[in-house]
Amino acid sequence: MRNPTDAPSPWVFRWAMLVTFLTFPLIWLGGLVTTHDAGMAVPDWPGTFGYNLFLYPISAWIYGPFDLFVEHGHRLLASIVGLFAIGLCVVATRTERRRWVIGTCYLFLAAIISQGVLGGVRVLFDARTLAMIHGCSGPLVFALGSFIAMASSRRWHQAFQKRDDNGLGRLAVLLLILSIAQLFVGAHLRHSLPTWSPAFFMSFVHTHLMMATLILISVLGGAVLVRRPWNRPFRELRSPSNALVIIVVMQILLGFATWIANYATPWVELTPWLARYTVQGKGFWESMIVTGHQATGSLMIVCSLWLACRAYRRSADVESVQSRGVASEKLVQKNRTLEAVSVGIE
Amino acid sequence: MFLKNIDLVTSNCLVPLVAWARAIAEFVKSQNGSKSPRIQLLALFCFLGCGPQELAYRSNLLHVASLSPELTDQQVEDTGRTVQNYVIDLFGTPDSPKWPMGVEPAVDLEKVTRAAGPVGRNEARVEHGLYRKHCVQCHGTSGDGMGPASALLAPYPRDFRRGSFKFKSTPIGKKPTHADLVRTLENGLPGTAMPAFKTLNHSKEFAEDVDALAHYVRFLSIRGEVERRLTAAIVNEEIDSEMPRTIASKVAESWALASTYAVPPPSFNSAISSAERLASIERGKTVFLSELTACSKCHGKAGDGKGISQDFDDWTKDWTIRAGIDPTKKAEWKRMKKFGILKPVIDSPRNLNLGAFRGGPTREDIYLRIVLGIEGSPMPAIARKENDNPGIPEEGIRDLVEYVFSLSSLNTKASLNTKASLNTKASLNTNGLATTDRGENHAQSN
Repeated sequence: MRNPTDAPSPWVFRWAMLVTFLTFPLIWLGGLVTTHDAGMAVPDWPGTFGYNLFLYPISAWIYGPFDLFVEHGHRLLASIVGLFAIGLCVVATRTERRRWVIGTCYLFLAAIISQGVLGGVRVLFDARTLAMIHGCSGPLVFALGSFIAMASSRRWHQAFQKRDDNGLGRLAVLLLILSIAQLFVGAHLRHSLPTWSPAFFMSFVHTHLMMATLILISVLGGAVLVRRPWNRPFRELRSPSNALVIIVVMQILLGFATWIANYATPWVELTPWLARYTVQGKGFWESMIVTGHQATGSLMIVCSLWLACRAYRRSADVESVQSRGVASEKLVQKNRTLEAVSVGIE
Repeated sequence: MFLKNIDLVTSNCLVPLVAWARAIAEFVKSQNGSKSPRIQLLALFCFLGCGPQELAYRSNLLHVASLSPELTDQQVEDTGRTVQNYVIDLFGTPDSPKWPMGVEPAVDLEKVTRAAGPVGRNEARVEHGLYRKHCVQCHGTSGDGMGPASALLAPYPRDFRRGSFKFKSTPIGKKPTHADLVRTLENGLPGTAMPAFKTLNHSKEFAEDVDALAHYVRFLSIRGEVERRLTAAIVNEEIDSEMPRTIASKVAESWALASTYAVPPPSFNSAISSAERLASIERGKTVFLSELTACSKCHGKAGDGKGISQDFDDWTKDWTIRAGIDPTKKAEWKRMKKFGILKPVIDSPRNLNLGAFRGGPTREDIYLRIVLGIEGSPMPAIARKENDNPGIPEEGIRDLVEYVFSLSSLNTKASLNTKASLNTKASLNTNGLATTDRGENHAQSN
């Protein structure tokens, strides 16, 4: 058996990254399905108009109506992601020593399959509520894939810094919860039912705005915390924090643009441009903006998770690590240096 | 505005938090004594509760309550249900619409069926449920303008059930032509949430889709108007067995005859000299400011919409002023909330300097708006000089069109009443940049 202190096999990380990078376009394509209300563009499942999924004529797919193109494309890409998830499980079983990582890979595969089944049942039952649940759980599956990539990365193995959390980890977890909750509220807005009253829909819009404000405050708070003197030595915290700042700003702009692309603005007299702007029904750029807002929301979840992982992983207690004999000499040396820097600053 | 509504926002935020919890609690309560509530709860969310639910047209309880303010809530609901039964018998349900037996068709039922129903494609790959895909979010299942997003839009989405439409080629009181509806669907309404669907015209099905939607809008409007008239008949106890079909026939006929009332707009000569155009604009300004047209009373002397008008549209007056309710007093109108209303808002006159003409950007479109008025809004049709009747002669109307057009065709922020701006216009024209429509003017300014 290989010693746990050995460098981890890079293959799990590589496969996890591959699957994660494939899952993001899948989420984007799923968002397009919702934007174009294309969930029922193919009325059967698991086949496509009676064909086997993989045997549906390419010309009919490519040159067919856009909603059919998007829905069938979503199904095809989902199948490919499923195949790569199986590959990830095989690779993890053969090369990974940590049982919980292997278990997470199988959980990811189960989640991918469940998502597929949920999407299929949504079609068979023509159930919009199931479409909403499918839309909510998609980004969570994406986050799970990203987590496997994080857990199998070299940095995860190298992170043995002494606990010096100062609330950053808890803030990151709070941000993760808020981002998931925000995604759920957003999914309600995207999949609102015709039977909803205007007041009910308005309450979701207001909640979405309120939570966006909380998320913005949390992200900015996190960015400040990362730059406090006691966190300065941990430079690895900056990447997720910076990414979150960029994403939250982008997300707020996309949110405004989404509203304008869907419903124009109530304040049309602000500028002649707004007064003259005509909403384009299912226009290309409008669809991209609306779908981009949803897809960026899932990036928000992943980056919150990234920050949480880095905040907590750098806080593994060095002595307990040493006692388990898992810290390499080099890493311990690095940790001592960092500790000395931290003490010096304080 | 956001800060002003912060209380509303805060209180509204609680609704989603408790909505799901309440749904679960109610379900568990209804399962008292059951041995496996957990399994059933799972079933509820996975299959049953989330499964397909047939939509129903909503009863027009607001009209019942407006016609008979003395009725109790229960009586309003009972009356609404009685009317609804008649209407379902005549027009069917959203998933299975039908046309009343013995009534001359005013819509193509095949197209109506395609536009109605759940969204998707059938085995033959024909798309159906177009209305739910494109319209229901704002206009609501019944076409009552009470879709989920409606309360957040300005202006509110149109309620089709009065049979009134703003931008059309027929006079006030007459129905729009089919072409009017198709035009609004294709071009949308700038500055509002009404989209332009011409972006989809790359699709082979585009023309058929828009046509089917226009037919369904006609269908919902006819259905809604029949419902209103039946409500009046039932409230006044004048109903008999033949009445529903008689009413349906009359309403359908008014739609079928719409095209006979259409007013063809005159063509405007875009090649006239700049001196002639400037003179026409100057004369048009005099007409705009005159007492006879009173344009400036609402649109302001500068055409910036800052007149004295504080009027409401007919859709709001229908359940407020006509029912003895003051729309400016919340204490009076809030009792109608339970019957489905949106907060009354003033129908502001258009700021003509912005270049956003919802009825269309060309001189021909502006001419129709001036000559025909805008139904349901405070904008009246101009008084035309006919025989001995005082009013504005045809030439004066054309001058007025030129003036209104000129207000938006230069720098929209500048006051266009100044000589300088007119000179700018003149210089543009002499440089061979005379324009025929707003789009070309934008191209110039860009």
